[in-house]
Amino acid sequence: MPAQPGGGETVLALDRVSKRFGEAAAVDSVSLAIRRGEIFTLLGPSGCGKTTTLRLVAGLEQPDGGEITLRDRVVASAARRLFVAPNRRNLGMVFQSYAVWPHMTVFENVAYPLELRGLPRAAVREKVARVLDLVGLGGTETRPGTLLSGGQMQRLALCRALVYEPDLLLLDEPFSNLDAKLREQMRMEVKLLQRRLGITVLFVTHDQVEALSLSDRIAVMHRGRVEQVGAPRALYEQPASAFVRDFLGQTVVLTGRVTATAAARVGARVTVAMNGPLTGCTLAGRSTSAAPLAPGAAATIAIRPEDIRVAPGDAAGSEPDHLLGTIETLSFVGDRYEARVALGGEHCIVLLLTRTREWREGEGVRLGFPPEMVSVWPA
Amino acid sequence: MAGVTAVLAAPGPRRLELQTVLCTVVLAAVALCVVFPLLLVALQSLQVAPPGQPARYGLDGWRAALGEPGLRAALLNTLAVTFVRQLISLPLAVLVAWLLARTDLPGRAWIEFAFWAAFFLPPFTVTLSWILLLDPEYGLVNTALARLPFVTSGPFNIYSFWGIVWVHVLTGSLTVKVILLTPAFRNMNAAFEEASRVAGAGTLRTALRITVPVMAPAILSVLLLGTMVSLQTFEVEQVLGLPFRFFVFSTTIYDLLVTRVPRYDAATALAVLILAAMLPLVFAQQWLTRGRRYTTVTGQFQRRVHPLGRWRAPAAVFVMALVVIVLGAPVVFAVLGTFMKLFGFFHVPDPWTLANWQTVLTDDLFLRSLHNTLVLSIGTAVAAIVVHSLIAYIIVRTSYAGRRLLDFVSWLPFTVPGIILGLALLWLFLGVSFLRPLYGTATLLIVAGVIAGMPLGVQIIRSGLLQLGGELEEASRTAGASWWTTYRRIVLRLMAPTLIAVGMITFVGAARNIGNFALLTTSANRPLSILQLDYVAQRKLEEAVVVACIIMLVSLAGALLARLIGLRSGGLG
Repeated sequence: MPAQPGGGETVLALDRVSKRFGEAAAVDSVSLAIRRGEIFTLLGPSGCGKTTTLRLVAGLEQPDGGEITLRDRVVASAARRLFVAPNRRNLGMVFQSYAVWPHMTVFENVAYPLELRGLPRAAVREKVARVLDLVGLGGTETRPGTLLSGGQMQRLALCRALVYEPDLLLLDEPFSNLDAKLREQMRMEVKLLQRRLGITVLFVTHDQVEALSLSDRIAVMHRGRVEQVGAPRALYEQPASAFVRDFLGQTVVLTGRVTATAAARVGARVTVAMNGPLTGCTLAGRSTSAAPLAPGAAATIAIRPEDIRVAPGDAAGSEPDHLLGTIETLSFVGDRYEARVALGGEHCIVLLLTRTREWREGEGVRLGFPPEMVSVWPA
Repeated sequence: MAGVTAVLAAPGPRRLELQTVLCTVVLAAVALCVVFPLLLVALQSLQVAPPGQPARYGLDGWRAALGEPGLRAALLNTLAVTFVRQLISLPLAVLVAWLLARTDLPGRAWIEFAFWAAFFLPPFTVTLSWILLLDPEYGLVNTALARLPFVTSGPFNIYSFWGIVWVHVLTGSLTVKVILLTPAFRNMNAAFEEASRVAGAGTLRTALRITVPVMAPAILSVLLLGTMVSLQTFEVEQVLGLPFRFFVFSTTIYDLLVTRVPRYDAATALAVLILAAMLPLVFAQQWLTRGRRYTTVTGQFQRRVHPLGRWRAPAAVFVMALVVIVLGAPVVFAVLGTFMKLFGFFHVPDPWTLANWQTVLTDDLFLRSLHNTLVLSIGTAVAAIVVHSLIAYIIVRTSYAGRRLLDFVSWLPFTVPGIILGLALLWLFLGVSFLRPLYGTATLLIVAGVIAGMPLGVQIIRSGLLQLGGELEEASRTAGASWWTTYRRIVLRLMAPTLIAVGMITFVGAARNIGNFALLTTSANRPLSILQLDYVAQRKLEEAVVVACIIMLVSLAGALLARLIGLRSGGLG
């Protein structure tokens, strides 16, 4: 029964939640709403406060400010000095180290939360067997938890967190200890499992590929604050800040001055004259600013490298929305080429070229910057 | 939604969590047993009326402690013994630790283990063994040397300042330093030394110019610890010092109290003086180890050892000789001593007998004391496991506001000489009316044993907890377990080997403890450790050595078991 992600009720709400460690604010007035059935990701570099936020939700830390509401129940409120212990929140959590209890077997690990909830023995056995089968751990019940492989331990930790059908599943960088191939596989498994069970997931990671591929919505965090919340594609294509733009994926950034603006709104078409070695070229793009970009104002243009259209040829003269470049170095990396392309002599950008054509070092290329893919930022 | 939150908020603005309450109870109990008695001792030093008469306050006790030549001599003797012990044992311990940890000394794992075992030898037993060897008239070493030409009489006298220092270096000073320093040396990054070697320095120069300076904080910390431990013992001076009227502060306190008219004021004033002298050491030690105790070695660096080259054999012989002196000789002669008709008299015809064992094992006094010791030691071990783990857990895992204070208070007994702690507890249990019925029972001794073992026990459990990591517990909490359930089902289970090891160590500590118990025992609760002291006082050395031998064997067995269960000596640091 797949839930409809993005719609429905709010499972978890954070209202201006803050947490300080000494002088430093680890989490600074963060407000979020996680809806039923979605995978919501906190993404950011290390030290941005994402794990602290997760631990605040779990009840492993107490907030210094704000309020956390779980299914219409306030579980932590600094103003009212209210705090619900982690064991009374009915959450599931998978830890970075998996925290598989070494003195218990696989069965005992998964049965533990059910025992705590006073389930009869038969029901415990049945539920544990069902959840272990779900992730392909059936048959390992009597093995000590720590004798499993990394991927199996990960699945076991997941079983333990899911078996009592928690209101919310918290994942704290659960894939970071796995090798690349296993990581990809587990990612897909978790997504499949989530879709099948309709559970709500709050996921913490610093890996943007992980975040983009797994999430329904992402909150990008930076220095304890939420920079932007949105669907993966929206974040990638319409980043609201330079931090989000540069943190998610690769970006080619060039500078210039505004020559003409259509209107003072986000998405309005702006034309920018490049400066430096690219003087004489103009590029057009969408404005990211609601404030008007006055002609003559310094501006930055940004584009994802894969959105640049690369064609061979060194036709002289400049045409709008195009730059000329030269391939400096070329590396064949299997499914494509990785090329360092010099623009106007000094500026270098890295582009991925298809292997449908034989590229050469020193060859001239024409780079098309489609205006709908270019964003213009106030400098 | 408003209704739901209103109900939840009902407990009111002051959130009184069970955890905070429990932590405060633990802190209060520990403070009651450690800090409060010491304050009582300080107060008592101003109370000059003889026991049984109404309290009168004055400075007579202090005048006596500072003025009477006997008491002043005791203070000076204490300082002299402490200073000379450290002076001899520290360079020796640094050398041994370096050899064990950083060189290719043959059999170094076994030798380290031997030092660990020697650490557990009861000082009292060791003292008796060395009497056999170094008694001025009958000592084996002396009689052997006297046969040499030009040696008219035995050159050594155990009943002397140097005799006391000798036994102290072997029991308290050297072994504890070696077992604390060896892991510290081992955990040092080898790159420091390798850089020095590459720069052209030899092994010796690298050790002196790089290794020792780099390790200076650790060495200094161990020196301070060693100084505090120096002041703990009491039995060595009691046995060796009494015959030539040599008193240190602990034997003086004992002497002042165990007479017909006890001088409580002078004894307590002396105790306060010693405590005051300890305080700078305590703060210096805490300051040195601040922040360092929490670092765990990740093992990312290489632990390559230096080849000793042609020094390998001499170094091995040297260290093996040390092992024979600190472990071999005491054990062998303690056992031999039990089979002697007249303790120490090897030259009488047919000196050997089994009668001592028969006498002791059938002695009613012995059997009662054995029973007392078993009750006391098992009780102490069980209570210590619960109390010490609770304290360590609060310090490491909770955010309880008073945990720093608890940390400090739990460390305090290490710095309080055993005889003073005994005195303080005596005051607590005699002075507080609802505790008075416990005087003369095993409970009082168990409290003393738990407190005496607290610094080491809490330290070991704490390093175990730090290695465990917090996520295993947090996983249990989020899975729905309360704090108490998590403690019971996750922490206690995972820590079981460490806790059993702590139990073994406290068991051994309680079985051999003399200093803490000397003032607290009556004929009703007298354990074996005090019985052997009483035997010595009655000049029944043959009986004393049998009891001492039994205690030694129990201690060694306990130490070996603790080691087997998986306690690493690194856990002590």
